[in-house]
Amino acid sequence: MTGPSQRVLRAGAVLAALALWYVVSAVPLVSADFLPGPGAVLATLVDILEHGYRGTTLAQDTFATLGRCLAGFALAIVTGVPLGLLMGLSRRVEAASNYIVQFMRPLPPLSYLILLILWLGTGNSSKVALLYLTAFPIVTSAAMAGVRGVKRQRIEAALSLGAGRAQILRYVVLPSALPTIFTGLRIALAAAFSTVVAAELMAASNGLGWMVFSASQFLRNDVIVLGILVLGALGMLLNWALVALDLRVVHWRGLD
Amino acid sequence: MRRLRGPWTWTALSLAVLIAGWVALTAAGPNGPIVQDLFLPGPGELWSGFLDLMTDGYKGRSMLDHIGFSLERVLVGFGTGAVVGTLLGLAMGYAPTIDALAGPFVEFLRPLPQLAYLVLLIVWFGIGEESKIILLFLAALPVSAVAARAGVRGVSLQRVQVARTLGASEWQIFRHVVFPSALDEIFIGARLAIGIVYGTLIAAEIIAGSTGLGWMILDAGRFLRSDYVFVGIFLIGLMGIALDRLLVAIEARVVHWAGR
Repeated sequence: MTGPSQRVLRAGAVLAALALWYVVSAVPLVSADFLPGPGAVLATLVDILEHGYRGTTLAQDTFATLGRCLAGFALAIVTGVPLGLLMGLSRRVEAASNYIVQFMRPLPPLSYLILLILWLGTGNSSKVALLYLTAFPIVTSAAMAGVRGVKRQRIEAALSLGAGRAQILRYVVLPSALPTIFTGLRIALAAAFSTVVAAELMAASNGLGWMVFSASQFLRNDVIVLGILVLGALGMLLNWALVALDLRVVHWRGLD
Repeated sequence: MRRLRGPWTWTALSLAVLIAGWVALTAAGPNGPIVQDLFLPGPGELWSGFLDLMTDGYKGRSMLDHIGFSLERVLVGFGTGAVVGTLLGLAMGYAPTIDALAGPFVEFLRPLPQLAYLVLLIVWFGIGEESKIILLFLAALPVSAVAARAGVRGVSLQRVQVARTLGASEWQIFRHVVFPSALDEIFIGARLAIGIVYGTLIAAEIIAGSTGLGWMILDAGRFLRSDYVFVGIFLIGLMGIALDRLLVAIEARVVHWAGR
């Protein structure tokens, strides 16, 4: 699937796109106001790394975005996984809380950002709350689905071997549910990452989303393109990090 | 008595506590409600806000207009993006060369926050419908492509070989073996895609819109009409669920052999 010729083709496609970008902006078929060339974007990168963009450095903006995203995500894991496990184990807990989770899940997060800003102000807390609420229903649903997917035979086998409730939870339910939980975590982190940028476009004074939005108001298309490239790389990195973690932690995935 | 202890009792109980809490927090006491209606409107205000919006519309347009604008954008953007993305994904699943050529771009686009490129699209195409439709097209495309590719890759080799031994042509294999087997995954991708497209649209309307449900709640929020904001959020939630159900219904009709 990823033989050497595949890799050459992939690299070639990326290089061809870069070359096309260079030619289009160098000739110039498209005015530099609309599409700055690779050289201009590279110069902007160097400039922002050295002097920052309107008072914040690229590293600060990146960490501001990542920090919000991961804070909301972490809160969602800490609360959503236990609740989801409980919902999977007890029909009563499920009945009492699932309708709320299932109403929140398809709700576009930006729709309630306005309320959160009204309640918590425009600072960091409304953004972290937004990302928490984005990730929470996804993580919770995944944990519940994970528990529900545990095979009855396994639990019965453990029971007949004399395992107690806590042992079954620790050695049967949790390991069987973990692959599904990790899939949920990947979806949740991707959703939180998309949402943090949208929130920063709307109301923020730092972060990569803010940088892109502010650049658009000053018609700094070089900064916009740079921001998009950085965000794309960051998104791929986050996904890759979770896949790597998944492989390490849930090394028994797919062995069922 | 035993029957009364079924799980639905717990749903009813939890809902009752929620509503009681809401009423208690917003009811007018001697010193006014505990929570100002600016922050949390009570049930009565919400209902009258809902009736207001339904009869008078919002800012010169009826609610049906706003819902219609949002719906049209979602369906056009999702429709074009899902069709092109699925075709691309099928080709990627079929031909490793196409996969290698298109893969890097699909993989870059998929985790990229959609709103980041909205800014560039607005600079290029203006603030009108064009930039929003292209945004939604780009949001749906990579999700559909990845799903269709996975669908083709997941087709069991045996089926293809059986068809080949029976003398099927490449087109027949695609039409009667590969495509039907991949449809399952394609629909999973389509449901994911429409959720992402819908979320992206609401965000886009909030950031750069002048019509639609997303714009309505932003505008209502600016004027501190939180009753309208709440009604808007409920409408947005219901519409999201309706869009998802629509795809499930289509899937049930088209992929009637699912799970066999």
